Amino acid sequence: MSVQRPTYTFEGLPVAGVESGTNLLVTGPALGGIRELTLRLLLRSTEREGTLFVTADTDGRATLEDYEALGGQIDFARVGVVDCTEEGVDDEVHNVHAVGSPADLTGIGIEFSSLYERLHANGAERVRTGVYTLSPFVVYAPTKAVFRFVHTLTGRIRTADGLGVCAIDPGTVDDQTLSSIAQAFDGQVELREESGECAVRVRGLSDQPEGWQPVDLDV
Amino acid sequence: MTGLTVLCVDPDDGEREATVEALADADDATVLQGDTLTAAETAVAEGAPDCVVSEYDLSDGTGLDLAAVLRERAPDTPCILFTNADPDRIRTDRREDVVVEYLPKDMPGARESLVRLVGNVVARRTQVAYPLPPDEDERLAALQQYDLPGLDAADTFDRLTALTRSHLDVDVAFVGLVDAHEERFLACAGADWETLEREDTMCTHTILQDDVMVVEDTHEDGRFADSDRLDELGIRAYAGVPLETPRGATIGAYCVTHGEPRSFSESELADLRLIADEAMEQLELRRRLNERESAAGGERSRATDGSESR
Repeated sequence: MSVQRPTYTFEGLPVAGVESGTNLLVTGPALGGIRELTLRLLLRSTEREGTLFVTADTDGRATLEDYEALGGQIDFARVGVVDCTEEGVDDEVHNVHAVGSPADLTGIGIEFSSLYERLHANGAERVRTGVYTLSPFVVYAPTKAVFRFVHTLTGRIRTADGLGVCAIDPGTVDDQTLSSIAQAFDGQVELREESGECAVRVRGLSDQPEGWQPVDLDV
Repeated sequence: MTGLTVLCVDPDDGEREATVEALADADDATVLQGDTLTAAETAVAEGAPDCVVSEYDLSDGTGLDLAAVLRERAPDTPCILFTNADPDRIRTDRREDVVVEYLPKDMPGARESLVRLVGNVVARRTQVAYPLPPDEDERLAALQQYDLPGLDAADTFDRLTALTRSHLDVDVAFVGLVDAHEERFLACAGADWETLEREDTMCTHTILQDDVMVVEDTHEDGRFADSDRLDELGIRAYAGVPLETPRGATIGAYCVTHGEPRSFSESELADLRLIADEAMEQLELRRRLNERESAAGGERSRATDGSESR
């Protein structure tokens, strides 16, 4: 019997490592630590890993600063951002590529694929992709295009042996739409916050801690 | 990539031939070719490709214009921009919703990557605009067993849907089979729908459910609120029961729709479930009958062969 080691691990979080090609949907309230949780799931565990952010709620520079503050190693050959905010601007030095609107899912998809290829070409054997968050896409783009975009993104991550971590605030989307979007993911990481205490629960993946697990997040 | 038809569009003859060669060599794919948007549109209409690979710059438009045509005529078909154009040069205005794959031609081993990408986007159906059941391949295989000639002419379904429509006092009642890209209506009382693109159907969401899916007002449901097609069809309220085979595959749905928002009582939904069970039983009986007739036909032909050989 062979024991396969998980490819992507998450230090300091109560989430067991996952195989390459896994896509996770992270759900939780916007003010309850979901941003920190998402960024920590994206921390590179080796220099040979890359990280690609697709940001729609905060701009590229702020995302990189927050990531670094949480211990993320910044190496602009292997870390980059597709900035989907309306205020986003291209910043070659920090590997930030602006699209200009969270409704332009075609443009976001093209920038994502292009950046993914470049990180690979720069030696990133595996890439963690984080989307923070899907909510603006759901709000500003037609629903059918959102499904198409989510399938394209998760499909690319799956076949490239990457890791996908996409956050969404359930308060911004109805339950039915959320459950339909969740269909494209291998598992879900739920975050809850009660009286300043945060806990996470992983669903849909095997070999994970059962039930709610306390997690130390700054909320 | 075995058996796929791929449309390759590139205005540069040399580039196009190299891409066609790479795609054709990978397996026994049929590769259609075009050098303009117009030629590509004709090829999409006549050749029904499984995947489209296009350069961005075309003499009479762009690869994204072609993607827009595709989304209109065959929306599930994946489209890959295989291009020399840098992302910054690609204009996405008026094309924000088409969503395509992008692969730069100048990367090392680009055509090998393209061949892999074509295989992946087709096999994994990565550009569909609706949620996919986790067991989609098995579901489609099961559907084939129930997709029998003459089924759409079965009077039983016409009677059932007519009764359902009057009993629940709704505009439309129908039996729909959800196949790979379309929903086909075996019977439809109150409307003359024959097929609908899967991305425009509500049943493609119903087949993900264990029980009846009710939408009292499509305009209040995020999955359907921006669907012009549902408005065109006069669908504001919907209740659909998944049609599940004895082996657990969901092949379609038994549904009612109404032109005004409305609710459905528990007793109406209970009746709808019963009628859906009846429809599924009819489908199952026809499948078994067909299986038996095929087996008997096989025996007869073996017997005939045997007597001829004697």
